[in-house]
Amino acid sequence: MPDFASLLAAVREADKVSDLYGRDVSVVFLRNFTIEGAEPFLKFHLHKSRIRPTIAFGKFDTIRQELMDGSSVVHTAKPEIVVLALMLPILDASYGNVGWRADVAIREVEGLFDLAARQTNALVVVNTFLPPSYRELGIAAAPRGDDFEGEVARLNVFVREYCRSHAAQFILVDWERLLRIVGEEAGIDRRYWYLSKAPFRQAFLNLYALEIAKVARALKGASRKCLVLDCDDTIWGGTIGEDGVDGIELDPNEWPGRAFYEFQRTVLQLAARGVLITLCSKNNEDDVWEVLERHPACLIKRAHLAAWRINWNDKANGISELAQSLNLGLDAFVFVDNSPTECELVRRFLPAVEVVQVPEKLYDYPNLLLEEGLFDTLSIGDEDRRRGQMYQEEAARNSEKERFASIDEYLATLELVAVIRDARPADFSRVAQLTQKTNQFNLTTRRYTEPEIASLAAGPDSAVFSLALRDRFGDFGLTGVLIARRRGRAGSIDSLLLSCRILGRKVELAFVEDVLLSLEQRWGIESWEADFIPTAKNGQVAGFWEQLGFEVAENDGGRKRYRCACKSRPRTGGLDFILRSQGD
Amino acid sequence: MEQRVREVISQVLGVDAKSINSTTSVQSVSAWDSLAHMNLVLALEEAFGVEFTDEQIPTMTSFPEVLKAVEARGGRA
Repeated sequence: MPDFASLLAAVREADKVSDLYGRDVSVVFLRNFTIEGAEPFLKFHLHKSRIRPTIAFGKFDTIRQELMDGSSVVHTAKPEIVVLALMLPILDASYGNVGWRADVAIREVEGLFDLAARQTNALVVVNTFLPPSYRELGIAAAPRGDDFEGEVARLNVFVREYCRSHAAQFILVDWERLLRIVGEEAGIDRRYWYLSKAPFRQAFLNLYALEIAKVARALKGASRKCLVLDCDDTIWGGTIGEDGVDGIELDPNEWPGRAFYEFQRTVLQLAARGVLITLCSKNNEDDVWEVLERHPACLIKRAHLAAWRINWNDKANGISELAQSLNLGLDAFVFVDNSPTECELVRRFLPAVEVVQVPEKLYDYPNLLLEEGLFDTLSIGDEDRRRGQMYQEEAARNSEKERFASIDEYLATLELVAVIRDARPADFSRVAQLTQKTNQFNLTTRRYTEPEIASLAAGPDSAVFSLALRDRFGDFGLTGVLIARRRGRAGSIDSLLLSCRILGRKVELAFVEDVLLSLEQRWGIESWEADFIPTAKNGQVAGFWEQLGFEVAENDGGRKRYRCACKSRPRTGGLDFILRSQGD
Repeated sequence: MEQRVREVISQVLGVDAKSINSTTSVQSVSAWDSLAHMNLVLALEEAFGVEFTDEQIPTMTSFPEVLKAVEARGGRA
């Protein structure tokens, strides 16, 4: 973290070049106190993730009016994220009076949250409230637990519950937790609180801004998906080739083994939410397997790994190979290594990879990956939890594949089943997540929140189709989305995207053809319009619409608009080894 | 110290450090609004390891006044 003055200067410079990022986000703060101080920190974190920030602030303590007024910044700035920042002493001026109860504040908060849910489709970031530093009863207990501390806790329970039951739209930033991290002395500026209603110091503003930036990253497809771990002095202490299984440091009851053991725990927590775990290590492969299989304290097992490169080649190559075999972009990767030389090499040759060096203060190591939130996603669903298993099924497929002479022959044995249907409410979260995360096979890269998907699916002039795929090796889950709109008898494809895991099976054409056909019948569509919007990542689909007989109508520097009359649309006839189901 | 104050003002307000002189003030620099003022105070506090009082803060509206405030707090660069 640079010092504050340098940070301000750096942000000003970055603002000038942020047009080149190819990603932007619009954030509006609605607040009842002075929170402008968070802006440079939010910009700093967004620039770091190469997301161009547009940040606006509602007027002071006029949240209700701004949500209702169609000409206010909440509506004109078209925010994708609305930060509802509330301080309790301003929300309820009676807070602090003898006998204060949280009921009025709870009703007020509920009213504001409900209003925000109605008035915007943006994600809404809300906060918990800070309990008093000193208790009004001193050291004495509150017999009914209804002292200020207890009442603020009750208010916060309400906020938490609200976010849980509105998880599609509401995201909680727990101020209490952030303040615990920085401490009240470093986090609160009582002087500016009384002077300008600006309660927070930079250390707190920085953490608050980082949490908001994590939301933007997740929404904008900038979250990382795969962790690449070195082995020696990274997932255990010492060198396996020299120290042997019994000599390395990994014992949870000893130092520094404990730090590595707890780091491995963090790795498994990430794996459980769907982050892919891989190894890239200069070692004899057998030595590494021996630790994973035989060391009693080694939590990471072979079964957790999506892929590995354990050899004596350079790591930039190793990571590139991992990216290829997992079908992921390099910007999906986080590389952890203890060696400054290896870290520098990867930074230099693979600048898109986020490089994390094992810290010298090993006691900071276990939390490191969680702190930065590089892998954070807005929601975690069944597809995420099963991801590790899916990659192992994929490995089984690949070894099978080598037995066949042609790809079609191989595909014919897979017993592929595609379920293509209108997305249902239970699918909306996954559909929104796919629009947020998919970068490569994505024709228009439009990102949607869950409420937006819900309204597209419910609207009379739009439709959201999903593709779920399975074969005899396993279930890929929901991995394809097509969003269509219509005006009269003219249809348009708003979005088309497929998870990279299912590519190479020729299902993409079959999926699109199926959806087009059923919409032509449902809506009486006579002609289609479709776009290709180029990004740094989606070059592989630049010629997709041509394959379905669409013709280029406009070409604006690579951004292409296609048209196709239904009558002249060639039928590829689909692929006979794909079983389709509209119902299921 | 004067040089460091100059540098901080330049970074916070986005003005050329060489152009900062005794006439540089809230009136002459358009970017020096109330929010920038807060940022400037906080950045100076961090740079010099001091804390200004609620009485000093409103007076720090020109380069000479800022220097005076930093000196009064015993600021060390």
